[in-house]
Amino acid sequence: MSAVILFGAGTAAQAKDEVMGDFSGVTLKAKFIGGNQYEPLYSRITDWEKATGGKVEIISKKSHFEIDKEIKSDIAAGSTDWCVGYNHVSFAPQYTSLYTDLKPYIPQDTLDKFSPALIDAATINGELQMLPRAQFDVSALYYRKSLYADPAKQKAFKEKYGYDLTPPETFDQFKDQAIFFADPPNFYGTQYAGKEEAVVGRFYELLVANGGQMFDEDWKPTFNSEAGQQALQWFVDLYKAKAVPPGVLSYVWDDLGSGFASGSVALDLDWPGWAGYFNDPKQSKIAGDVGVVVQPKGSSGKRTGWSGMHGFSMTKDCDQKEAAASLIWFLTNHDSQLFEASKGPLPTRTQVWDDLIAQVKESGDGYRAEVLSAFQEASKHAFAVPKFPEWVESTNLIYPELQAAIVGDKTAKQALDEAAQRVGDMMADYGY
Amino acid sequence: MKRKFLSPPVLLLLPAIIIIAAVVLVPLLLSLYTSFTPFKLTRPDTLYRWIGVRNYARLFEDYYFWAAFLRTFVVLTIALNLEMLLGLGLALLVNKATMGQRALRTIMMFPMMFSPILVGFQFKFLFNDTVGLVNNALQSMGMERVIPWLVDEHLALFSILSAEIWSSTSVFAILILAGLMAIPRDPLEAAKVDGCTAWQTFRHITLPYLMPFMFIAMTIRSLDIARAYDIVQIMTAGGPARRTELLWTMISRSGYVDANMGLANAMAYISILLSIFFTFYFFRKLMAARRYMGGAQ
Repeated sequence: MSAVILFGAGTAAQAKDEVMGDFSGVTLKAKFIGGNQYEPLYSRITDWEKATGGKVEIISKKSHFEIDKEIKSDIAAGSTDWCVGYNHVSFAPQYTSLYTDLKPYIPQDTLDKFSPALIDAATINGELQMLPRAQFDVSALYYRKSLYADPAKQKAFKEKYGYDLTPPETFDQFKDQAIFFADPPNFYGTQYAGKEEAVVGRFYELLVANGGQMFDEDWKPTFNSEAGQQALQWFVDLYKAKAVPPGVLSYVWDDLGSGFASGSVALDLDWPGWAGYFNDPKQSKIAGDVGVVVQPKGSSGKRTGWSGMHGFSMTKDCDQKEAAASLIWFLTNHDSQLFEASKGPLPTRTQVWDDLIAQVKESGDGYRAEVLSAFQEASKHAFAVPKFPEWVESTNLIYPELQAAIVGDKTAKQALDEAAQRVGDMMADYGY
Repeated sequence: MKRKFLSPPVLLLLPAIIIIAAVVLVPLLLSLYTSFTPFKLTRPDTLYRWIGVRNYARLFEDYYFWAAFLRTFVVLTIALNLEMLLGLGLALLVNKATMGQRALRTIMMFPMMFSPILVGFQFKFLFNDTVGLVNNALQSMGMERVIPWLVDEHLALFSILSAEIWSSTSVFAILILAGLMAIPRDPLEAAKVDGCTAWQTFRHITLPYLMPFMFIAMTIRSLDIARAYDIVQIMTAGGPARRTELLWTMISRSGYVDANMGLANAMAYISILLSIFFTFYFFRKLMAARRYMGGAQ
């Protein structure tokens, strides 16, 4: 088979990496995620076209949820003859009937250059469903340096809580400090995404950090455990104490990013993509005052790390699989990852991490170096969502209940029991 | 003489019949069929599994579905009445204007020119708790707290209603204004001669003339509001804790996010009852109003 000639191993093989086979006359149809953060990489497609003689026709480029809807409609309509497509770990289990196993097309040598945990996250039912690009997400804790450097605040905090005011190591400290800094309506201690999969994801990572799990081995919901109640109570307590903005339940990621950049929030557990934005004086009021540390620990002593990543997949119906595999490899290779990661997102290849950090150190950008080392540490604690097709559907049953507890309509236990009941019924319907 | 297979009228109408069947009837029947299956977008084979009325039976037992149904009914009723009253007020004011009436009519229609998605974003920003204009304005007037417009149990629906009413009151205003302009002068002058007060003239002459126009506007808007989606989805996505969940936010989430198209179609068929009820009700009212004015028999 392998018209796709793949090389890997470090810099010595970089020159050979440019040779990828002759695909003259081949046109690959592709569906990608669109948006500022994702599109610069697609400019590299012309390099692949020059090197292989193949052509890429991007037939769709939409936002995260829009492209997901389109792909689902394609599966329903059976119009899946395009070749290369968008994928994400949260959605991947739903697409297993659409995308093919990449292992026969991508040499083990190449796979070994990715972080093993991420290849594992991309593998469903033993099939490698996607090759991850440099769009790996895990959260770290951003904080306002000036607040922690203020001697008056340090003194007052120590008197009230009995320990030094330093960026939080645990979620309990996180809560203490958020409540301490809060001065509503002018200033808030922290914030969190309050709806849809976003709030369930945050709850999930706190649950895991507290020693709990969403489901047991038989896929029965277990998130209403003691650890789950403790996790949900964290959100409830912050809301009750007015340490978060009152509209937080309508917030998703953009609201959090703009809120922290507006200077009205002390602590923000958030994604790596915001790092540049927070420190850009043209867009952020807190530029120069931003610190980043690894995510806090839960009550089990484990750090939190709900993570996601984007990747490229190949459809089963693709009639040019070797060319498609070549393009997928090209878009996730060392150079593409370094290109994409140099703009902010995190790489998924281990060598690219090292090269990126060396590049940043050489440039003398202290903030970027701090960001990268915090996120490199944060990535060690990363874990993906449970791998079953109904994950997103289950989050739609869970999040209204989380919200009900946060606004005080139900206790944490009542809300989680109700959510577990509904998710359990859904799982039973699907034969779990 | 040979008998023709199809008569000329049927033959001439055939293209229209075929097009209507293709774009309306077939999707309608297909969606009705899928509501009796567990059709999941990501599992195309589920399209062929017949489960009878199970989707409907499940919905009849689903408290949250009926809560959304009732909420949609309440939103519809409040929005229609307020839009009608405000539209009537606006139309009466504009009708009184002796100068610049055309300019006023055009300005009045501005909100209708915005896409509902943009209206949603605009009002989401206005009602944002921290950076929103409403809270900032209230704080600059001395308010010392933050009002969570998009979160509070009652205020969240109020915020959505504000956006709906802002964007669509002009539908009522324009139609009622058209009615006002069409009122014959004779009865009004006769009332003046008979010494009627302004209220009596409005109550017994102007309003009955306007009623058919109002009911036409209500019919159109009841269909619009019963399928309200864009503004609600942008502003609150039905939350928090289902406080602003309306039928179509629920249906779209079930159909497109959860990929449960069979269940979503069952919800949609039940929700159509709401539209049918309001359309039927307003048409009856419209006929009654026209009969009163000596119109329809």
